[in-house]
Amino acid sequence: MDKEVAIIGYAQTPYEADAEASREMQVLEVTKAALAAAGLKREQLDTVITANNDYLDGRTISNMRLVEPSGAWQKNESKVEMDGAYAALYALMRILSGDHGIAMVVGESQASVYGGYIPGTMMLDPTFDRQRGLLNEVSASALQARAYMNACGVSEEQLAGVAAKNLANAAKNPLALRADGKADVKKVLSSRLLYSPIRELMASPLCDGACAVVLASGKVAAKSGNPVWIKGVGFSHDSYLSERSLAEMSSLKDAARRCYAMAGIEDPASQLDLAEVHECFAHEELMAYEALGLCAAGEGGAFFDSGTTSMDGSLPVNASGGALAANVACAAGLARIIEAAMQIRGEAGDHQVKGVRTAVAHGQTGICAQENIIYVLGGE
Amino acid sequence: MAPNEGQSRVPRASIPFNPVFGWSVGNWMEQFFDGMKEGKILASRCPACGRVYLPPRMICERCFAKAEEWVELPETGTVETFTEAHVKLAPNGTFEDIDGPEIIAMVKHDGADTCIAARLEGGGVSVGMRVKAVLDPSAENVLDLLAGYRAAE
Repeated sequence: MDKEVAIIGYAQTPYEADAEASREMQVLEVTKAALAAAGLKREQLDTVITANNDYLDGRTISNMRLVEPSGAWQKNESKVEMDGAYAALYALMRILSGDHGIAMVVGESQASVYGGYIPGTMMLDPTFDRQRGLLNEVSASALQARAYMNACGVSEEQLAGVAAKNLANAAKNPLALRADGKADVKKVLSSRLLYSPIRELMASPLCDGACAVVLASGKVAAKSGNPVWIKGVGFSHDSYLSERSLAEMSSLKDAARRCYAMAGIEDPASQLDLAEVHECFAHEELMAYEALGLCAAGEGGAFFDSGTTSMDGSLPVNASGGALAANVACAAGLARIIEAAMQIRGEAGDHQVKGVRTAVAHGQTGICAQENIIYVLGGE
Repeated sequence: MAPNEGQSRVPRASIPFNPVFGWSVGNWMEQFFDGMKEGKILASRCPACGRVYLPPRMICERCFAKAEEWVELPETGTVETFTEAHVKLAPNGTFEDIDGPEIIAMVKHDGADTCIAARLEGGGVSVGMRVKAVLDPSAENVLDLLAGYRAAE
């Protein structure tokens, strides 16, 4: 895609364990801020897509009462029950159809409302796994972690290293929930053991928050201040967790292949300047290095050890702290898109990486990253 | 944001949501459970690609076709991956500690292409370990017919 659709405004709430504001007020805060950043009024929006989930919100039609704060009253509005990165996909498609010029995209949820890890078990096969009570988002991901570590020779220290890197990066991101400038391997490995090898600090914290992105057609975006262009997108859906190899993220690899073909990326490690990865658990970042083609298959651990993905490396990953710093269901992938756009615009403040021109952003939905979507974004 | 725009002055209500759904396990899972009552491990196979699904699935996603053949598999298999559970999920959505770790394994039966997640009894585990199903044909709940796995002799 060449200058067809761009991000022209964005906003995020701080990510909190239990936000003072209601979800409606959180959404209003980010939509107003994103519109202001884009220099637009609500009346100029052609379409609105929100990402939220009926089960997480405890009501059917979870976009009910989000019409007002998302600016969607009497507009072309719809929602996805997936990560907000998929809401951005539908907005992108609507703009590419030629029927819409400007789209508001919102992702939100509040973990303080929905009861921790219980809703995640609803993603399991209801006729067997769910009722047997062994699997949940963390135990299933521990099975994934062990499968990957065994296949690729990755150590617990390397998983802890990823967590330490991201938590230290998060210390420079004022919106992060979990941050620790002094995080190190030892500290991560002494955090509470949940399901081996996953410890508390290797698992993303569920939290409250919202984020919003304004997407615009090339015609509109060209007149805006500092557009971040969508150069490519790819998405792919994998098998249920017990029916695929957990040792690799094959659907992310497939998504990356499609996205890179669209964006003209032939050598991701040299053409990309930064990646924002939706790593619900530390090991998923290493698996994503491989699936995104940043390193060869099976080399995720060694690639991490090389320091390439640290803040001062040649391809920083999760300069924001990633999802290990804050993981809002239905919003964390959209937040990765925002963080990548911030870096391209040079607006990331204390966690700004120098000279970011092209970046990849990743979102996922489902247990053990069953569905994956990625975007390649670029500046002028 | 001013505090009075938020929730601090509003009592937080705990609203139970306990709907009861009447899912059918479907013909395939019914045959799987009926088989275990007779001590048999029954899997479905895709006639087009030969992929063997255990637990049995009705549809082969790869061939976009019904996986309508049946095969009986041995009780033995291999641990593909595992985790030592130090916690369990509590009704309030947090994790609470349990006494001593419990092993959850993903087991691929000999002849199957997919895995079953189950408890591994007896302690000691590694990827590639050979295991045997522990069946309890007298279990009251069909979900307990497959009690778990233990090391194969």
